[in-house]
Amino acid sequence: MTYPGTYSERRPGHPQPRAGARPPAPPPLPVAPRRGPGVRRTLTTLFLTGLVASVLPWWLDTPAGSLTGTTAMTTAAGQITGLLAGYLLLVQVLMMSRLPVLERAVGGERIARWHRDLGATLLVAVLAHTALILVGYAGLEGRSPLGQAGVMLREYQDMVSAFAAAGLLVLVGLTSVRTIRRALPYELWHATHLAGYAVLLLGFAHQFSNGSQLFRPGPVRTGWIAGYLLVIAALAWGRLIAPLVFNLRHRLRVADVVAESPDTVSIYLTGRRLDRLEMLGGQFFRWRFLARGCWWQSHPFSVSAAANGRWLRLTVKMVGAYTRDLRDLDPGVRVWAVGPSGTFTAAHRTRERALLIAGGSGITPLRAMLEELPPGAALIYRARTPVDVLLHRELDWLAQARGVRVWYVVGSRRDPGPRQVMTPDGLRRLVPDLTRRDVYLCGPPGLVEQCRQLLRHSGVPRRQIHLATFEL
Amino acid sequence: MRRALVAITGLAASTTALVVLKAAPGTSQVAQDVPAGQPPAATGAAEDEETSPDATAAPATGKPKATKSARPQGSASATPSRTASGGATRTPSAPRTTTAAPQPTARTVTGPVVSNEFGNVQVQITVSGSRIVNAVALELPEKTAQSVQRSGEVDSRYSGTGGMVVARQGADLDTVSGATATSRSYQQSLQAAIDRARG
Repeated sequence: MTYPGTYSERRPGHPQPRAGARPPAPPPLPVAPRRGPGVRRTLTTLFLTGLVASVLPWWLDTPAGSLTGTTAMTTAAGQITGLLAGYLLLVQVLMMSRLPVLERAVGGERIARWHRDLGATLLVAVLAHTALILVGYAGLEGRSPLGQAGVMLREYQDMVSAFAAAGLLVLVGLTSVRTIRRALPYELWHATHLAGYAVLLLGFAHQFSNGSQLFRPGPVRTGWIAGYLLVIAALAWGRLIAPLVFNLRHRLRVADVVAESPDTVSIYLTGRRLDRLEMLGGQFFRWRFLARGCWWQSHPFSVSAAANGRWLRLTVKMVGAYTRDLRDLDPGVRVWAVGPSGTFTAAHRTRERALLIAGGSGITPLRAMLEELPPGAALIYRARTPVDVLLHRELDWLAQARGVRVWYVVGSRRDPGPRQVMTPDGLRRLVPDLTRRDVYLCGPPGLVEQCRQLLRHSGVPRRQIHLATFEL
Repeated sequence: MRRALVAITGLAASTTALVVLKAAPGTSQVAQDVPAGQPPAATGAAEDEETSPDATAAPATGKPKATKSARPQGSASATPSRTASGGATRTPSAPRTTTAAPQPTARTVTGPVVSNEFGNVQVQITVSGSRIVNAVALELPEKTAQSVQRSGEVDSRYSGTGGMVVARQGADLDTVSGATATSRSYQQSLQAAIDRARG
């Protein structure tokens, strides 16, 4: 096992608190050094600064006491929500830019959650902006709000595209409501969601032709345009240039497809310069297999072995038509990968030891992470039947090599064994120092949620619980 | 989802807070708002200013703002400074009286500030003898981009040496469609200025 020391080289000043405590075992086990939440905090601060900066022009432009009467107040509220909506839209697109720094420091899943929550906020902001401006302007000009909408469409500059942008945004928002999204085919949802870029484009002009703070040339207008340019640059970098550089450097190809269980396969990939691949166990890539029937879809899968400089492996459970096609991939098929992404790694631990809880095929990122965790980790592996236990040979070997305690908890949810383990007492019996460990959860959403609540009840602090679930 | 609700609540609360904060009258801005709130008659203390075309009066009073706007603006003592500065900064593109003033004496007469729901309107006319030779809008509503656009339409139709005011020689002007309120306020301020010039 040759683990490239890239991560320790990158942060030479980082303290390694375990170095002294560990007994000098003959082959020193590679352990990923910790990465703090510093970058994430910086990003949050930047976001809030931008939020304030986006409303600041309005604040400075509006003399105190000038908002007398409901009409003026409605219009002002419409301007504020408009500025906020413009800013949030940029942030929303930026979060989906796959910018490497975001993907590695925040992680694809957390970004997706933020994107979801901020998306709901953006939708409300845009609807409020539209309604408030309509009512406000209608009050100013003595019309009904609907009549005002007609006038704005006909007489105001760039308002047709702005209304179209708002309509598209509502469509994107509605199709992302969980229940509606489940009823839609993924491809349709995805195509609708791509309309988000059209929202950016269509909504652009009206901000500058009609926005009270933006229509005058000056620093505010320049800054706003700079924001747009930055986001577009981030999109180009994250979606185009960075993946291009990565894939040209590594040129991944399928080497072999191996059955792990009746419904699970491991796909081995080789490529060039894999020793320079900067990846942590537990991270995922978005894979695009350039074979017939597969090339137009990109799916996130965790890597199921830590970086070893020779090959990559992903282990995939066949749950749909797409994943079934992966079983028939021929060796030599080119693979386009975007990543790595995710903070579900040993480097993001907050404590010395870890407890990993896997459900079914959720073992794959944990298996990779086990190679980089300090000794003394524990693994609870839930599986419905013995056949569903994946990679158990490797797990047993890792258990021995790295001092990991492994429990296989096999059976249905109602069987006595699993029921006994999945209680606060049961967990504490297996892992007495539960609350002093980081807990990594990966598996079906039901199991992950159940375990999360269980852990919170057992007194594990929230920041020590790490979740990996692609379900939004 | 809980976070989204928090964010949405935050959005609503902060927007409301911002609006309410700005709605509360601040001490520094009150002085600025008073003239706008006053009835036209009160602020109608417009100054009749005598200027020679060769602008000998301007250097005499030495008002720097007069040179900036290139508008003949004589006695600095009686003109409310707000009117003067408003005229100097807000109508940079206004036609200049000096270029169209071959007449022996021209007087500029400033109308009162007339406010409507979009903002304030103030008109200044230049009278040569009994003839209006120019009209300039010292102030027009420009709070929103739309407002600016409409004010621009009103200004281009009415003001200037070739505008409707000069053509009609009075305040009986066609209302600019889509800018009724601003047109009316313009006419009010103009009428008061004309009355002032005659009286």
